[in-house]
Amino acid sequence: MTSSAVEAEAPDLVCQLDSVHGMVDALSAVRWKRHQDAVVELSEHGLVVILEDTGCLQAKVYLQRELFVRYEYNAEGRPRFGVSLGLFVDCLNSFSVPGRSSTIEIQYPGPDMQLLLKSVDSHDVCIYAEIRTRIPDTISWDYHFEPAGSTPLTFTVKSAALKEAMDDLEWPGSSIEIIVQPDPPCVTFKGEGHGDLQIDFTYYVNTDLVLAFHCDHQVSYRYKYKFLRAITSNLPSSVIKDNRGSKLSIGRGGMLKVQHLVSVARAAASHTHNDSASHQQPSRIAYIEFFVKSVVDEVN
Amino acid sequence: MKFKAFLTEHGVGLLEKRFLPALDKMGKICHLFLTRDHAIFLHNLLNGDGVQCIAQFRKQALFDDYRISSQNEDRIAFAIDVSLLLRAVRSSVSICTEFGNGPTANRLQIKLVKKLPLNCTQPMPFLTFETKGYKSAVVQDVPISKPLSRAEVLELQTALDLAQDLPPTLVQVPDLSHLQNFVERMKHVGDLLNVSISKYGDLHVQISTTLITLGAEFRKLLVIGEQAEAPSDDRNLSAQTRSERAISRGDAQRVQVSVKHFSRSLQCHLAKPDCTFYGIALQGSCLTVIFQFFIPGTHQTDKSISLHCRLPVLDPGSN
Repeated sequence: MTSSAVEAEAPDLVCQLDSVHGMVDALSAVRWKRHQDAVVELSEHGLVVILEDTGCLQAKVYLQRELFVRYEYNAEGRPRFGVSLGLFVDCLNSFSVPGRSSTIEIQYPGPDMQLLLKSVDSHDVCIYAEIRTRIPDTISWDYHFEPAGSTPLTFTVKSAALKEAMDDLEWPGSSIEIIVQPDPPCVTFKGEGHGDLQIDFTYYVNTDLVLAFHCDHQVSYRYKYKFLRAITSNLPSSVIKDNRGSKLSIGRGGMLKVQHLVSVARAAASHTHNDSASHQQPSRIAYIEFFVKSVVDEVN
Repeated sequence: MKFKAFLTEHGVGLLEKRFLPALDKMGKICHLFLTRDHAIFLHNLLNGDGVQCIAQFRKQALFDDYRISSQNEDRIAFAIDVSLLLRAVRSSVSICTEFGNGPTANRLQIKLVKKLPLNCTQPMPFLTFETKGYKSAVVQDVPISKPLSRAEVLELQTALDLAQDLPPTLVQVPDLSHLQNFVERMKHVGDLLNVSISKYGDLHVQISTTLITLGAEFRKLLVIGEQAEAPSDDRNLSAQTRSERAISRGDAQRVQVSVKHFSRSLQCHLAKPDCTFYGIALQGSCLTVIFQFFIPGTHQTDKSISLHCRLPVLDPGSN
């Protein structure tokens, strides 16, 4: 940490980002409805944006400090503030110029506790924004994910295939049962409602779709479709295109954890996603986690 | 009341590829005002509080063999659906290119006619497009309103004269697509846009609601008209403070317009102007956007074409 006379006055965070588009992508992935209040937590490791819905669904976007070209953190503890996610994303979007990489500076807090953003590429064109923040609700974020047994129960599915399955399950709707069984190793999504639909991901049969599978005993849990849908409903097109795996884990009490990776590499000159560029920058990945609570206790 | 003219190839190109697509975005219906020397497309001049848009062509820019006569000093005006007009021009063009053969074969004639449509007892006015192809002739009738009365034409002419005043200071926006891109995204954040323009060459647009302030400042733009040297101590200020100071010094003006109107006026880029200028009229009565066209291959203004928009200023107190 650099020490200077103005350090006492320094804001909690000043950071610069050269890939606004990537940040918009990452935050859009957790935008499952129109009006959402997000809580942003700052730390020396980066920013975490947290969203919650009716005690059943939580999402976290981890924007690590490595994603930023500059990251100056001056606070004690972990300051938190609330902000409207929609407004934040729409506002960030105004800074991104198609076909051009734009660098923005984000500062918190401003003189009136606002979140301040400004473009820093050019002296002759300046885009700026001040977003009002609020004191976050003091609700307990009760989403402690604990493994159910000694072996973690996880499987990794190609993101595009997961999204496709989720979209297809909209038809039966209401509640979806996820069954994971070790022999034969298989994940089943089963929807019962207006009709029945069963989607099987068999590990050895669909090796191009199911990338990894760990399960030593059969489990089965039900989830509300409206919450399950949120995990892929707004997945950015870059995630589908990159089509890395999305990792799903089931913990104690059927808590479902879903992890996506969103590339936050600087926008290439063209719209095509350059795979090699994103591979060169392994640290430029935003991590997204969803936690979905199961509807009832274990069925079996 | 008679009107008959041949559209030139250049004229067809201007209308089909550039001006009609732009005017179509400004609103469904416009007035077409024909005089001895000019054809003028007018949006929202007589009625309403929308964006006024005026596209004026000297007759030579669009037509040859231009004949007009009326008892009202050879002036004719009527309302027309821009999208229908565009469709008629487009299909005429496709017929010409498909069957056109020789310099006189693909002449596109337009004229004002009265016809008795099916199931009607009264004849209706139409603007008719007649395309003569190699083997066939295609006639398209675009319905128009009843021609405006003498009093209405006078009203239109007066409104047109009033809309010609130039703002004292105009700034040139070099990158219209950048501004358009920004404003398109800004639309999600709020409805009202504050626009301030200074004699130093600053254009500052800002949306401010209870939750967010989002703005962009474009500096060191080319100024036409009244200009002033920017104070050197302004350099390190925020865009907002800089604007406030310029306004209090009397070196800048600010108006509030609808974001939708502003974004619509930017659609005029479809007409492919060579330069775009923004200015605020005296007493802040409107925000004016002037598009300039060059004679192809030169940097000289093509005086036979003009296009400008006037955005109504919203009274912040009334909403």
